[in-house]
Amino acid sequence: MRLVIDERRCKGCNLCTTVCPYHIFQEGRHLNERGIAIPVLDRPERCTNCRLRRLYGRQLCGACQLICPDQAIYWEEDDPYAAEKVVIEY
Amino acid sequence: MSTETFGKWYREDRLPHIFCTGCGNGTVMNCTIKAVDAMGWEIDDTIFVSGIGCSSRAPGYISTDSLHTTHGRALAFATGVKMANPDLHVVVFTGDGDLAAIGGNHFIHACRRNIDLTVICMNNMIYGMTGGQGSPCTPVGKISTTTPYGAAEPAFDLTELAVAAGANYAARWTSYHVAELIKAIRAGLETPGFSFIEALVQCPTAYGRRNKFRQVGEQVEYMRSHAMLLQKKRRLEEQGKDVPDDMFTVGEFVRRYRPALGVRK
Amino acid sequence: MTTLEFMQGNAACCEGALAAGCTFFGGYPITPSTEIAEQMALKMPKRGGVFIQMEDEIASIGAVIGASWTGARAMTATSGPGFSLMMENLGYAVMTETPCVVVNIQRGGPSTGQPTMSAQGDMLQCRFGSHGDISTIALVPSTVQEMFDLTVKAFNLADRFRVPAFLMSDETIGHMREKISIPDSVEIIPRKEPKPGMLIYEAEEDMVPGFPTFGKGYRAHITGLTHNERGYPEATNPELHEALVRRLVDKVESRRHEIADYDAVNTDAETVFITYGPSTRTVRQVLHDHPDETIGHLNLRIVWPFPEDTLKLFPNAKTFIVPELNLGQMAREIERHVTGQRVISMGRLGGTIHTPAELYDKVQEVA
Repeated sequence: MRLVIDERRCKGCNLCTTVCPYHIFQEGRHLNERGIAIPVLDRPERCTNCRLRRLYGRQLCGACQLICPDQAIYWEEDDPYAAEKVVIEY
Repeated sequence: MSTETFGKWYREDRLPHIFCTGCGNGTVMNCTIKAVDAMGWEIDDTIFVSGIGCSSRAPGYISTDSLHTTHGRALAFATGVKMANPDLHVVVFTGDGDLAAIGGNHFIHACRRNIDLTVICMNNMIYGMTGGQGSPCTPVGKISTTTPYGAAEPAFDLTELAVAAGANYAARWTSYHVAELIKAIRAGLETPGFSFIEALVQCPTAYGRRNKFRQVGEQVEYMRSHAMLLQKKRRLEEQGKDVPDDMFTVGEFVRRYRPALGVRK
Repeated sequence: MTTLEFMQGNAACCEGALAAGCTFFGGYPITPSTEIAEQMALKMPKRGGVFIQMEDEIASIGAVIGASWTGARAMTATSGPGFSLMMENLGYAVMTETPCVVVNIQRGGPSTGQPTMSAQGDMLQCRFGSHGDISTIALVPSTVQEMFDLTVKAFNLADRFRVPAFLMSDETIGHMREKISIPDSVEIIPRKEPKPGMLIYEAEEDMVPGFPTFGKGYRAHITGLTHNERGYPEATNPELHEALVRRLVDKVESRRHEIADYDAVNTDAETVFITYGPSTRTVRQVLHDHPDETIGHLNLRIVWPFPEDTLKLFPNAKTFIVPELNLGQMAREIERHVTGQRVISMGRLGGTIHTPAELYDKVQEVA
């Protein structure tokens, strides 16, 4: 699975940056054409749901998607699926 | 609670919605949809009803049949929908001004009737859509355009009001406590009779900006750090210890099974 | 087959509603309409319908509109003060095109006024009371039989045009007891379903969109905001707003002659009474006492939309006399449509109806 921020919906409130346990979301620095600084993803492959959703067969964590007031965060299927080695620092 | 069924509840063609940057209403919508989806309800047998205000624009973004009614009257319309067709699941979105001020009478009577509705109140403590006037839930001393010297009137405690008026389920959480909010909404949807879930939400544009929350995150952080679990508050009171004035209580206030109206037998 | 009964106007209204298939009544007690709620509370549960006593009239009309969206034929009954409270939600019903029936058993106003006395002071309120430009249908019975018949008709018109229909009766007819014959079945015109592929608010040729009943998979968004054909709010689009409001008004107004329901008697007369409601009874007495066919009579059973062509049924008319239990509310509307004829308003307040002698004296005075 791949974590995606929908740039057409994001209003740049940065709430996602406050809830992710891995701090994957970082405040954006550059304004897009709508004048909004979209948060940038710092090594999104660390996301629990990206890594383990298939294994558990259900949604994991998902705090960013829930708190996002603009329904701008979702996961896309990665095709083809390939296992990746990921280093997790807490 | 799978990712795949989450998106289908939104009218994708209407997003992004009109809520300001950082508004907590969108978060409460997410939590509601998660809970409704987890109940296994179908889009075609669920109805969202709302009144007027920021919160009440929410049903317009949800795929189900939805009724965006007049100011304060959402509960009256919802009562009609539920009584005329008890097979429909009726969820009401409302705000603090909509529910507690103009709709206060409908609120206490819906609680008293214990009609099988789930009411989700997005309490932003202000009239957001009209630009930030004081509401019955504006805390004492807080600044709004109609309370420029600080709100002088005491605020309503909506959840306690629902308990006193006879609701079967009442809980309060905030837009920060998303997991707890989903659980509370789910419990409300499951409980027959009137279920009331108050979700405190940040309003950065009309409330936060005038009350020393300069960033969206600051008000969310305030809600995180100043929420006290109901059980903890009661424990402190039992022990005779002081409960800090600036804390607000969250948690499940009541869950009971009094006879309810509008439940299909 | 019909059943003959002797009953009160309010009870006849209730019977009419039940015959028309009304399955939802939301109300609040108010003199002189309370008997309708009482009868409904008694009879509705036995027929599988819903009676609910709401906390006020605002909630009553709200619940009625909500019930209507589930496909139920829904109604409420009230009187002046409650009717005033309902105005906002009635505007909502017009904007969202929700069929419903509101019975107003009028009493003396303004304010609390004369709760137990008769009046027709809400005739303009039912047409112009809600903010914004609206058009509605108002029916006025003058007998207990009409109380039954027009209630049925109100449901059919409300469903056909998707508007709130008003049964603008008054204390006199509501509390009067008369013989009435109740048919075993009545004509019911069901709501139009939306045609496949049409949008929620896409009007058909008759300017009325099909009704997307909740729970049937139409996924309709219903809002009182100015909305486009999908039902989505679009409140700052001037062309859209104008087109929407014009359609809401025109769908009723353009069919006013088709909807019209009236009796025209002695059409060659020079002096013509135009009446609705209880004054119709007085004029009938005048005509009965003076059967020389020199006095014309136009009795309107539907006053809104106003069928102005009915005035042309009296080609020799020089004077229209309008006796009504207000200070000339409909006389003003008639003045707008006359072509040179004199309009004499015989407004009356206080709660009693005109006597035949008064009306005949007026005819003599005019002649």
